[in-house]
Amino acid sequence: MKAAQKTVPVTQEKDVDWDKYLAAYYEKPKSSLTWSGLDVKEVYTPADLPPERYKDIGDPGQYPFTRGIHRNMFRGRYWTRREVIGMGSPQDTHDRSKLLVEEGGSGLNTIADIPYEMGLDADHPWAQNEVGLTGVCITNMYDMETMTADIPLDKVSWSLITASTAAVVTMAQYAAVAKKRGYDLKKLRGTVQNDPVHFRYCGFRPASPLDLSVKLGTDVIEYCTKEMPLWYYTTVNLYDLREQGVTAPQEVAFGFLIARLYIDEMIRRGYKVDDFMQRFAFYVSCHIDIFEEVSKIRAARRIWAKLMKEHYGAQKASSQQFRFAVHTAGCSLVPQQPLNNLVRVAYQALAAVLGGVQSLHCCSYDEATCLPTETGHTQALRTQQILAYETGVTNVSDPLGGSYYVENLTSRLEEEIYKIMDEVDKVGGMYQAIEKEWLDRVFEKEALTRQKELDNRDKILVGVNMFTAEHETAAPLGVQRIMKASVKRQIEMVKKLKKERNKTLWKEKILALKAAAERRENVIPCMITATEAGATTGEMMGAVRLAFGYPYDPMEIIQAPF
Amino acid sequence: MSEIGIMEWAKKVRENDRMAAAKLISAIERKEKVARDVLKHLFIPVGKTTVLGVTGSAGAGKSCLVSCLIGAYRKRGKTVGVIAVDPSSPFTGGAFLGDRLRMQAHGRDRGVYIRSMASRGYLGGLARGTVDAMRVMEAMGHDVVIVETIGTGQDEVDVARLVQTCLLVLTPTMGDDIQALKAGIMEIAQVVVLNKTDMPGKQKALLELEVALKMRRVEEEGWPVPVVPAVATTGEGIDEVMDQIEKHQVHMRKGDGLKQYAFQKAEKEGSVIIKDEIERVIFDHIRGTGLRRKYLDKIVAGEIDPYTAVEEVMALFIKKSKKHIQVQ
Amino acid sequence: MKKAKEKNKDGKIKVLMTKVGLDGHDRGVKVIASLLKEAGMEVVYLGMYLMPKDIVDAAIDEDVDVIGISLLSAGHLVFTPLIVEEMKKGGLDDVLLILGGVIPPEDIPILKEMGVHEVFPAGSLTEPIVTYIRNHVRR
Repeated sequence: MKAAQKTVPVTQEKDVDWDKYLAAYYEKPKSSLTWSGLDVKEVYTPADLPPERYKDIGDPGQYPFTRGIHRNMFRGRYWTRREVIGMGSPQDTHDRSKLLVEEGGSGLNTIADIPYEMGLDADHPWAQNEVGLTGVCITNMYDMETMTADIPLDKVSWSLITASTAAVVTMAQYAAVAKKRGYDLKKLRGTVQNDPVHFRYCGFRPASPLDLSVKLGTDVIEYCTKEMPLWYYTTVNLYDLREQGVTAPQEVAFGFLIARLYIDEMIRRGYKVDDFMQRFAFYVSCHIDIFEEVSKIRAARRIWAKLMKEHYGAQKASSQQFRFAVHTAGCSLVPQQPLNNLVRVAYQALAAVLGGVQSLHCCSYDEATCLPTETGHTQALRTQQILAYETGVTNVSDPLGGSYYVENLTSRLEEEIYKIMDEVDKVGGMYQAIEKEWLDRVFEKEALTRQKELDNRDKILVGVNMFTAEHETAAPLGVQRIMKASVKRQIEMVKKLKKERNKTLWKEKILALKAAAERRENVIPCMITATEAGATTGEMMGAVRLAFGYPYDPMEIIQAPF
Repeated sequence: MSEIGIMEWAKKVRENDRMAAAKLISAIERKEKVARDVLKHLFIPVGKTTVLGVTGSAGAGKSCLVSCLIGAYRKRGKTVGVIAVDPSSPFTGGAFLGDRLRMQAHGRDRGVYIRSMASRGYLGGLARGTVDAMRVMEAMGHDVVIVETIGTGQDEVDVARLVQTCLLVLTPTMGDDIQALKAGIMEIAQVVVLNKTDMPGKQKALLELEVALKMRRVEEEGWPVPVVPAVATTGEGIDEVMDQIEKHQVHMRKGDGLKQYAFQKAEKEGSVIIKDEIERVIFDHIRGTGLRRKYLDKIVAGEIDPYTAVEEVMALFIKKSKKHIQVQ
Repeated sequence: MKKAKEKNKDGKIKVLMTKVGLDGHDRGVKVIASLLKEAGMEVVYLGMYLMPKDIVDAAIDEDVDVIGISLLSAGHLVFTPLIVEEMKKGGLDDVLLILGGVIPPEDIPILKEMGVHEVFPAGSLTEPIVTYIRNHVRR
C-alpha cells in the first residue's frame, strides 16, 4: 500500500478559542424531535406501555409480527449481506460481483444503469453517453450471459435491481440464460426489484407510464408465482420514497399504498393473496435516527400483517409477513469529511439489524461523490461483517421489544402511517395521487423542508453545518471510474448483434410479443422467446409500449425497426 | 446589444434572430430606454398575426393547454410565439417560471419561441411589458402569438383586453376560480375552456358556467361565449377549442371588426403607455432633487396629506414643462 | 454578441435550472430552484431529458444570467464539454455555468478547466450558492 509510505504530518499547534470550548462543554441538544419531527418525552415509563398492549405486539414470529417474522431471527440465519454492484460493462459488473463474493458477501446484487432502466439499448443515441455510468446495461441475452458467466445460478441468490417497467425484460433475460445453461427455473432463488411505479415517481416518467407500470409489474409477479416459486418477484421500493425527502411514516404509508396497486391487480386477474403473497418483499431505507427507524420497521410489520389479514383475508402467515431488505440512506451521506459516512452507515445498519432485517446493503463511504470504489465496497461489507460477527446483536430477537420508548414510538408511527394513508384516500387513492401529481407536490414540499432544516441548522449534519473544516472533501482512496473502452466494446457488440441475427426469426418473435401485449396477456413467455431470438431490451419494451399506445421510444428519437 | 445600433437591433428582430429578440424583451422587462427606441421600429399593422390570450388561475392547466395549442398550430404549419407570465413573489421578488417545462415538447422546434416572464409586481408594468413582448414576437414574424397569464388583478385583465381572442381556463373544482370571476376576467373571455373534465364535478361546473355567462354585463355582439370541456393532459377537446378560436377569429374579422379591434387595442395600448410614461417622466423629473424624500418626510410628520403633496409636485412639474415648451 | 452596457436596474437575476441527458433525479434541482426563487431570483425550470443544445437554446430564448445543471448520473465529465461548446456556439460567453449533484471533489478542477464557473456538490448549503451567484453574475 502506497499510503503506508506517506509520512504522517505532526499536529500543528493552533490557537484555541477557550470561550467556544467552554460553551461546548455546557452545550445541550437544540431539539428533542425525532428525525421525522415527532415530539418525544424526556422519559418513558411503564405507563406508556400497559401490559394489555402486548397482545397487539406479540412475540417474534407471531401475528402481527411487530417483533419480527421469525422467532429465532438471526440464530436461524444471518441476514443476507448484499452490496449493490453495477458499473461499466456486464463484464466489469461480473468481475466486481465475484470480488465481493470472495470477500464474504452472501448475496449478489446487481443494479441497472439509467439507459437499461429506461428500456433503452446501449446503442440508443441518448444512451451512448451514459451506458454503465451508474449501473450495468443489459441490452440483450448475451449481456446477461456475460454478467452471470461461470456463476452457479442454483447456488446463489441473485438480486436484480431493475426497478422500472424494464424489470420484466430483466426477468425474461435471466430466465432465458438460466434455461440455456440448463437450470430448472423452479429452483432458482433471488429477487428482482420490479417496482415500476416507483420509477414513475422518481422522475423517470416517460419510461414508466402508470398503467404500463402496474401491468408489467404484475406480469412479473404472476409469471414468477407460476414458474419461479422461490423467486422474490418484487421488492416494493420504500427506499427511494424516503430519498425524495419524505419522513419515516410517509415512507411506509406511500410505499404500502403503491404495493397495493400490484396486489389489487393480481386479485383482479383472479388470484387470492394466499396464492402469491409468500414472495412479496419490500426495500426499505434506514436513516440516522436509530430508534425511529427501528420503530418504523416494527410499525410497518404490524400494519402490513393487519392489512393482509383483515383487508385481504390472508390466512397463511407467510402472506401476512412484511419481509424487507434495507438500503442505508444514501441521502444522509455527504462528500464533506467522507470518512464520517462510514460511521453514519454503521449506525443505520445497526438500526436495520435491530429492526430484524432480512437482507442488507450498506452504502459505501464514497457514494456521495462517485460509484463505490473497490475499497469503498469492501469496507461497506466489512461494516456488515463487524455488526454480524462481533457485536452480538444477533443473539436475541427484537432486542428493543418491550422498551417503553420504542413500543410507544412504534404505536405513534403506526398512527401517523394510518393518517397519511387516509390523506391519500381523500385525494382518490394512490393511482390518482401519482397521476394527478399530488405525490410530486408532497415530495417537493418535504425535500424543500429538509434542505431548509440544514440551512437553518434545525438538523445537524457534521461537516456540513457544524464542525466544518476546509479541505476535507477529497475521497482518501480515489474515485471509481468507468472504463470507457469496455463500454464502447459493449455498444459495438449490440450493433453487431442487430446486424447479424436471424432477421426472420427475430421479427416473428418480436411481433408475437407485441400481439400478446395487445391482447393484454402476460408478456414474459413471449419476451423469453424474443430475447432468445436476439431481440433487445429497447425493442421488447418498444413492442409493449406500442401495444399500449405509447411511442416506441420513450425519448421519441428513434423509430420501431419492425 | 445596444452598441450594434437601434436600427440594426430592430432588423435582427425582424429577421427572427432569437438572441436579439430575447435581449430586447429583457430590456423591456428592465424598462430601459433603448427598448422603447427599438420598439419604435417594430411597429407592424394590426391583424396580420393571430393574438391569443390564455388566462385562468394557477393549476388550471393553462400551460398544458398552451402546449396543445402550439402543437395544433404547428400541424397547420403556423409558427408560434408564447409569452408565459408567472407571478413574482411579493415578499422576495423571486419567481418560479415553470410554464416552459410543460411546453418543453416543443423546445426543439425552431418554429416555436417561448419566453417566460415574471410579473415583477410593478404597477401597470405587466401589461406594458407583455404588450411590448407581444410586439416583439409579432415582429419576429410569428403567425400566432399566445400570452399566458394568471387571471387575477387589473393587469391581467388589461392584458386580456389586448388580445384578439381570450381563452379563460377553469376546472370543475371551481373554488379558486371564483376569484377570477369576481375580477371581471369572465367578461372579457371569448372562449371558456373547462379543463380537467376527467375529474368529478363536470356537469355541475358546466351548469354554473352557463349561469355565470348569462349574467355577463357586456356581450360581444353576435358572439355567444362557448364553453368547451377538455382534458389538456391527454389532448381531449383540443380540436373543439381550436374550432372555437377559428370561429371567433372569423367573427372578429367580419366587416370592420378588425378595425374596431385595432382601434380598441390602440386606445388601450395608448392609455397604458401614457400612464406608464407620465409616471416615468415625473419620477425622472424629481429624481435627485430630494423632493421625493422631502415630501415623504412631511407626510410622515403629518405636516401635509399625500393628495396635497402630489398636487404640489404636479404643479411644479407642469410649471417647469410649460416654460420648457415656451422656450422651444 | 455583446451584452447591453446598461446596468440591470432592478438587479433581477434570471437563472435556468435543468437536468441533462437521461438523468431523472430531479429532487435536488427542484429544491435549489425553489430556494433561488426565495432568494429573489427569477428561475426558469426546464425539467428533465434535455440535451446540451436544448438547454442552450432555452437559455438564449429566456436570456438568462445563469445556467444551473444538476447531475447525479456520473455524466458530468461527458456532458460538460458538450454544454460549454454549445454555449460558445450560441454566444453565451457571459452566462455563468454552475453544476451541482454527485460530483467527485477531484473532478471540480477538471470541470473548471472545461469552462464551468463553480460546482456545488451534494451536501451544499443554500447560502453559499446564492452568494456566489450574486457576486459573479456578469451584468
